[in-house]
Order: sequence, then structure tokens, then C-alpha cells
Amino acid sequence: MKNFDEFSKPEEYISPMDKHIRSVIRNWADKEVMPYRRKYDEDWKDHHIIEPAFDKLMGNSGIGLQKALFPPELGGWGIGQSDSAFTISCALAEEVGRADTAMAVAFMVTYWPLTTILVEPHVNWRLAKEFAPMFCNAEKAVFAANAMTEPQGGADIENLELTGGKTIRTVARLEGDEWVINGHKLWPTNSGGVAKLFVVPCTTKPGSTDLKDFAMIFVPADTKGVTQGGPYEKAGMAADKNSDIWFEDVRVPSWYRAHGPSMDAQVFREIIPWGLAASMGFMCGAMLNLYEILYDFVSTKTYKNKPLKEDDHIASIIGRIAGDIDICRILSYEAAKMGDRRNKPYGYPIYSDEVACKMRNLKDFVSDRAVDIFGKAMDVLGPYGADREYDIEKHWRDIKIIQLWMGGKQLCQMEAARYFFNCKTL
Amino acid sequence: MNKVLDELFVYPKGLVDEESKRVIHLVRQWADKEIISKRQEYRENYEKLFIETRKSLNLTIGLQRLTLPEEHGGFGWNNPASAPGIASVLTEIGRADAAIGVATAVKYTMLAVITMAPNFDKALCDALAPVYCGEELKTFSLILPGMGNVGQDTPLFLGRSILASVEPEGDGYVVNGKNLRPINSGAVADLFCVVCADKTGKPCIAFVPGDNTNIVRGKTLLETGLNASSNADVSFNNVKIPKSYVISRQGVVEELYTWLNLLLGGVSVGTGMNFFEMVGDWSETRTIKGGYMMKENPLCASVLADVADEVFTSRLFLYDLAQTISKPNDWGQSSSQRVYTIAQVLGSKIQQNVMRAINRGLELMGSAGYSKEWHVEKHWRDIKTIQSYLCGVGAEAPVKMDTARFFFDCKDI
Ligand SMILES: Cc1cc2nc3c(=O)[nH]c(=O)nc-3n(C[C@H](O)[C@H](O)[C@H](O)COP(=O)(O)OP(=O)(O)OC[C@H]3O[C@@H](n4cnc5c(N)ncnc54)[C@H](O)[C@@H]3O)c2cc1C
Ligand SMILES: Cc1cc2nc3c(=O)[nH]c(=O)nc-3n(C[C@H](O)[C@H](O)[C@H](O)COP(=O)(O)OP(=O)(O)OC[C@H]3O[C@@H](n4cnc5c(N)ncnc54)[C@H](O)[C@@H]3O)c2cc1C
Repeated sequence: MKNFDEFSKPEEYISPMDKHIRSVIRNWADKEVMPYRRKYDEDWKDHHIIEPAFDKLMGNSGIGLQKALFPPELGGWGIGQSDSAFTISCALAEEVGRADTAMAVAFMVTYWPLTTILVEPHVNWRLAKEFAPMFCNAEKAVFAANAMTEPQGGADIENLELTGGKTIRTVARLEGDEWVINGHKLWPTNSGGVAKLFVVPCTTKPGSTDLKDFAMIFVPADTKGVTQGGPYEKAGMAADKNSDIWFEDVRVPSWYRAHGPSMDAQVFREIIPWGLAASMGFMCGAMLNLYEILYDFVSTKTYKNKPLKEDDHIASIIGRIAGDIDICRILSYEAAKMGDRRNKPYGYPIYSDEVACKMRNLKDFVSDRAVDIFGKAMDVLGPYGADREYDIEKHWRDIKIIQLWMGGKQLCQMEAARYFFNCKTL
Repeated sequence: MNKVLDELFVYPKGLVDEESKRVIHLVRQWADKEIISKRQEYRENYEKLFIETRKSLNLTIGLQRLTLPEEHGGFGWNNPASAPGIASVLTEIGRADAAIGVATAVKYTMLAVITMAPNFDKALCDALAPVYCGEELKTFSLILPGMGNVGQDTPLFLGRSILASVEPEGDGYVVNGKNLRPINSGAVADLFCVVCADKTGKPCIAFVPGDNTNIVRGKTLLETGLNASSNADVSFNNVKIPKSYVISRQGVVEELYTWLNLLLGGVSVGTGMNFFEMVGDWSETRTIKGGYMMKENPLCASVLADVADEVFTSRLFLYDLAQTISKPNDWGQSSSQRVYTIAQVLGSKIQQNVMRAINRGLELMGSAGYSKEWHVEKHWRDIKTIQSYLCGVGAEAPVKMDTARFFFDCKDI
């Protein structure tokens, strides 16, 4: 094999932009991130080193990726309207994730809430126009966040099928032409003072299981009554800040609600596949990087005075690792294609059970493989496995949470069972 | 969690005598009082408290002298029969802090090859014990054979490259070796134990005092876990040591591995038990599906069962190994191929089990498991670090080969 680009992906489906986007981001990653990433763990609170790299990726002073989803007439690149939006996202997630999965998540979570108003067929032009300048005209990186998780649990909120939103405690009340929001969220990517814009999944009627009462409301972070805590210290993912957010009588215009009764629940279901497909992309990126590092290691270190890779037993392990990367990449692209078939006669809408459950299943599978092969790769490195100089341990710490976020592993398992076996009570 | 751990994770109690039980009890009290009951403070002030708690353990309780013979001021646990007791002590330490556990496990492993009957080396004990097991806290560091680099043709210990050499010079020896990676504490060690090859390529071990000016220490490594142990690569450039500091009896390297597997196993079992306590607390207070207690959900219960099962069986493996070591008349000395192989098989199983327990348990803890505030993530990182070190080369290639060699009489692997 020539290099890590040879891992399988469905070439006939790849977006025409793929090659170009990849080369631009790879260039950025190799120059702005790879040489510094070993220092990121200590920079978790301040982002002194991390922030400039984000600016060069997302802001107009650099590549300007934060505006990519917006329509061209609002200053964006129109990816939200592209038939390849998911596939392009997968490539972006891979390329940034190869360098640092936490940067990948912080960057791509910026798109996440915006997908509800920028992706065909649900473009909300009024909100798109409202928020376009915030992202399209900025020299520096500007972030958004999707504040779902609450102190009592994140899984239940993502499990709308079962709970119907009844566990949500963040409440929005319509007063005149304003929403008044009260509640407490935890953990959103890009909280801790990073994001300029939140989307807040909430309820207009506490305890209700009627999906008409579920709302997604945009809240600029500087709105009066929004308070963010300091970032949490975590096992990894230093480039992503997470914190508490309190909403106390926060008032926003009534039209900041994404779409309205019922439709908000549908677009909430739609953002789940986006998160899942991107999660798979992050892991594939990290795995491609794992392969690069491992290749060097097993070619230069020896067992019984032979390169590790020439020992039949060790070869079987690293062969399996690379084989799994290949398979995971194929699956991740298949997941992305499921997303991109959403408007096609032979596809399913991304709010459908078919897409949600199959994607949860794929993400669960890819996460399990990723967690496993990073653990194995550390073992191959033996005494060097835990050493930050080799970067594998960083990915190992970072990607564990990808397996656990978005409602957790068990929710993925339940969704798969629900879909494949028509379970009624899970 | 309001349960008695020993009544859940049962083990053959008869293996541990009354005197050992008293020491084990003391260590449990130390763990609860100094670390477990104040995890937050311990985490925020880790570097300082790491040293202080090690001091109270080693000097106040006196565990620095646990495995020294009584005539050297020790507790007299220098007989293989003490293996279950020593492993139990490490379990208690591991429950509090795996890094302190590793530092202690390495110390006892190094001392085992000097003090354990029937190989008690009085001369070496006379030389080292007063300096390294006295009134001051001393740190020990172990350098095992492992990987080589392409282009080198190194002597081997059962497939593993020996990168250090020892040669006679005058009335002593000189030790050489470049960029060797210890399993712990390379940056701060007061005493090294290095697996070396002699001129003929035969493996032996050398004790090297850390204050020798011909020792060059690399920068302190940043690692996944166990960072308080301050590891670093070490080079020995013609380091002179007295003749008695080299042990070259047949099987001495195997002895090191046997004890190391037992004692690091003890540490990881302890860490696994504390992880179990933490997940237990979480599962009793967290609700899912709009109000059901997590542990009453069959799927979550099955994950919890995995956690308990892995920790439980690890503890049994641990005592099985301890018992095997404690009965040389039944199974052979710790240097024998049988005991050495069993130690590797069980040692690696214990690490894998505890790692799986933690990986599974984290699944139930969502973000809490990932945040430093909950402490479980530290256990996860520490155990992975121990496990990777113990793998040696290429994901346990040497362990697999040792196992196949013993059970199937392979000749060339
Ligand atoms: C780095 C990072 C980034 C994050 N980014 C975001 C973000 O952008 N936005 C956001 O809103 N949140 C975010 N989170 C939070 C994350 O999504 C949640 O932690 C996750 O959804 C799980 O929620 P929880 O931790 O509250 O666990 P809980 O909801 O309490 O669930 C705990 C566990 O219970 C089990 N469980 C739950 N439901 C069921 C069920 N029905 N059946 C069986 N078992 C079940 C699962 O094992 C689950 O893992 C992030 C977290 C981290 C660490
Ligand atoms: C139901 C059935 C249908 C079959 N159909 C056909 C058929 O249609 N046509 C046909 O020709 N054969 C057929 N076979 C035979 C089958 O393909 C062979 O059994 C198989 O290829 C293995 O060959 P072997 O049994 O001679 O094992 P060997 O070649 O002796 O190998 C034994 C084992 O040694 C190990 N090994 C071998 N080489 C290496 C290596 N380089 N490195 C490491 N380990 C190695 C592997 O574990 C291997 O399994 C069939 C067998 C069965 C049971």
C-alpha cells in the first residue's frame, strides 16, 4: 500500500470537492496542528495554542470553513444544499480528526445546530439570514453549540421515540413575540464560553410526551440570562470545551424557534444522523493517523531482532488493525451515503427510523472497533504505548468519548434492536 | 456503596495469615483516610500528596521494609509463602492510587530477587537495605528487556532484546545501555534494576545506584496514566558498580517477571475494586428512561455484571498465582519455566480483565466517566498504562510465545 489514502472508500460516490478539500485541510493539519498537538492537553482551559489553529481552519483569515454550510447568496459555500453534504462532512471529519478529534468535533459541532436551518429541504431563510453574518463575515473562528444534555441525563433526551421529550426540564414559554427560556444544560461541545450561538432543545410544556411541545430555539450566547460555567477537565478532547449553561429568563424573538411545532421534533431527529456520521468520520480520521504512526513503529522496532511487522504473530495483530480501519471507513462512507440519499427516491428521510437506527448501529460498531484497535495498538507499542510522543495514546483517550456520547452505547444497541426486531417496549 | 468488598470479591482467606491481615487492614485504613475519602483534594494537589502519602505508607507504616528479613529491620515477608499477603497489600494500595501501587510493586519485585528464600543474598541486602530501605523514602526503577531497533543485533531474553550490557572491570562491573525505557520512575529513581546481557549474551541483572554521574536521564515522559511516577528514558555510560550488585544465577530474570506479574496484578485488582465501588454508586443514583434506576435496567445490569465478573475473576486469578508462587515445593521456584509462564498468563489476564471491567463500566457513566471530577477516568488511564508496559513487545508477543513454548514445547519461536 502506498499510503493511508488507499484505505477503501466508495470512489464512485465521492464528491468532486473531496480531493481539493482534503488537500487544503491536510496542509492545514500538517502545519498548524500536528507539530503542536502534544501540548494541547495542558492547554485545555485557555486554548492559547489551540485557538489560532481554529482561526486558520474556520475563520476568513484562514480556510473559512465555518461558512461552508450557508447558501452562496448569504456568503457561504452552499454545502447545505449539496447532494453530497454528508459525504463532504465525512471527509472534513476525517481530515481534521486525523490531526485531533477534539478539534474536529468543536469545528463540526458548529455546523450541527445550523443543519436544522440550512440543509435542504428545511432551509429557514429568515434565520439563515439572521445568523449568516456571524459566521460568514468573521476573520476568526466562530462556534455554535447544540445544548441537549441536561443534568438528569442526556440519553433520555436523545431517546425521543421512548420518552417523547417528557424528561426535558429546560422550558420555553411564549410571551408575546418572545420565547422566555429557563433551564440548565451540561456538556455541550463549544460551551465554556466558546460558542456564540446555541440551539437549545427544550419543551414548551414540561412533562408532555406530545412532540408538538418539543422545541429547538436558537439563543445567541450573549443574550441576557445566559451563563456559562468554566470548562470541565476531562480525560482527553482538550480542544473541545464543555461546561454548564444556565438559562434564566432568557428572552429571544419568537421566530428564533427553528421551525415550529412537530417540525422541530423532526429536525431534532434529523440532527442525530449528522452527529452520528460525523462521529464515524472523526474515528476514521484518528484511525488513519493510527495507521501512519503504527506503520513507522512496526517497521523500525524489532522483536527477536526482526522488524515487528515481520513477525508472523505481530503481523496478524497489525493486519487485523489495518483491516478493521478499512472496514470502518467503508461503513462510515455508507452511513454518509445514507444521509445523502435523503432526498432521493431510493433513499429514506434522515428523520426516519431506517436511517436513525441503522446509523446508530453503524456508529456503535465503528466506535467499538476504534476503541478496540486503539487499545491494541497501544499494546503493540508496549512500553511506548502510553507515551504521548507517539500520539496513539492521545487518540485512545480522545475517541473513548465518541463511543459514549450522543446518548451512549446502550441507546445505540436499543435502537438497533427496535428497528431490526420491531421491539415495542424498549 | 455500602458493601464489604471482601464479602463480594471472595478469595481463599486461608492463604493470608493473621499477621498479614493486620498489615492489610492498616493499609486499607491508610487508603480510605488519606486518599479515597478525599479524592477531590488529592486530585487537585496530586504531585504534593503523592509524595506525602507515599511517605506515610512507606515510612510511618513502614512498608518500605515489608519484604526485608527481620534481621535487616524488616517485616520478614521474605519467603514465597508471603506472596498472598504481599499481593493483598498491593491490592489495598491499588484501590487508592495505582501510581503508588506501581512504585511499591516495583520496589518489592526488585527486593524479591535479593531477599526471597531460598535465594537470600545477604551481602547485597547488607549493602542496599540500609541505604534504600532506611529512614528516607527511596524510589526504585526497573528496566526490562523489550524491543530493539532495526539494524541492531542484540542478545535476547526469550525473544526480547536486551539493550543493556554488563562487563567485568577491575573488582566490579560496568553497565552500559542507551535510551533504555524503565517501566517506572526513570526520572527520579534512587536505585535501578537493569536486565543486562554479559559478554556471552547471557541475561543477568544489575543494581545501579541512581546517584552515579554516568547516568543520563531523558526528559520526564508524559504518559497516559501513572504520571506521578515520573518516568524517563535512561542511559548508562560506563557506570561502575560493585561486583556484588550483579546477580547472574540461572532464572533470575524469570523471577523478576514472576513477581512483577503478581504484584502489578495486585495493584490492578485493587484499582478495579475501587472502580467497581464508583460504578456501584453511580448505578444506584442515576436514572434512565425517564425515572428507572439504572441498575434495574436489564441491559445496564448486564454491563454491571460484566464489571463485577471481570474484577471478581481477576482477584481469583491473583490469589491463584500468589498461591502457586507461595508453594515452591508443589510447583517449582518463581524462576522455573512453569511458574514464570503461569505468572505471565495470569498476570496478563488480570490486566485485560480489569481493563475490560473499566471500559465496560465507563459505558454506563456517560460524560461523568470522562470527566476528571469523577476520578474513574484516572483508573482507566492508569490501568491501560500498566497493561501496555506489561505487554512488552507487539501486544504481548513474548507472553504468547512463552506460553506456547511451555505448553507445546515449541523450539524456535
Ligand atoms: C466531549 C464531550 C462532548 C459532548 N458534546 C455534547 C454536545 O455537543 N451536546 C450535548 O447536548 N451533549 C454533549 N455531550 C454529552 C453527551 O452527549 C452525553 O454525556 C451522553 O449523551 C450521555 O448522557 P449522560 O452522560 O447524561 O448519561 P445518561 O443519559 O445518564 O446515560 C448513562 C448511560 O445509561 C445508559 N442508558 C441510557 N438510556 C438507556 C436506555 N434507554 N437503555 C439502556 N441503557 C440506557 C447508557 O449506558 C448511557 O451511557 C458531550 C459530552 C462529552 C464528554
Ligand atoms: C468443506 C470443505 C470444502 C473444501 N473445499 C475445497 C475445494 O473446493 N478445493 C480445494 O482445493 N480445497 C478445499 N478444501 C480444503 C481447504 O481449502 C483446505 O483445508 C484449506 O485451504 C487449508 O489447507 P490444509 O487443510 O491443507 O491446511 P494447511 O495448509 O496444512 O494449513 C494448516 C494451518 O496452518 C496455518 N498456516 C498455514 N500457512 C500459514 C502461514 N503462512 N503462516 C501462518 N500460519 C499458516 C493456518 O492456520 C492453517 O489453517 C475444503 C475443505 C473443507 C473442509
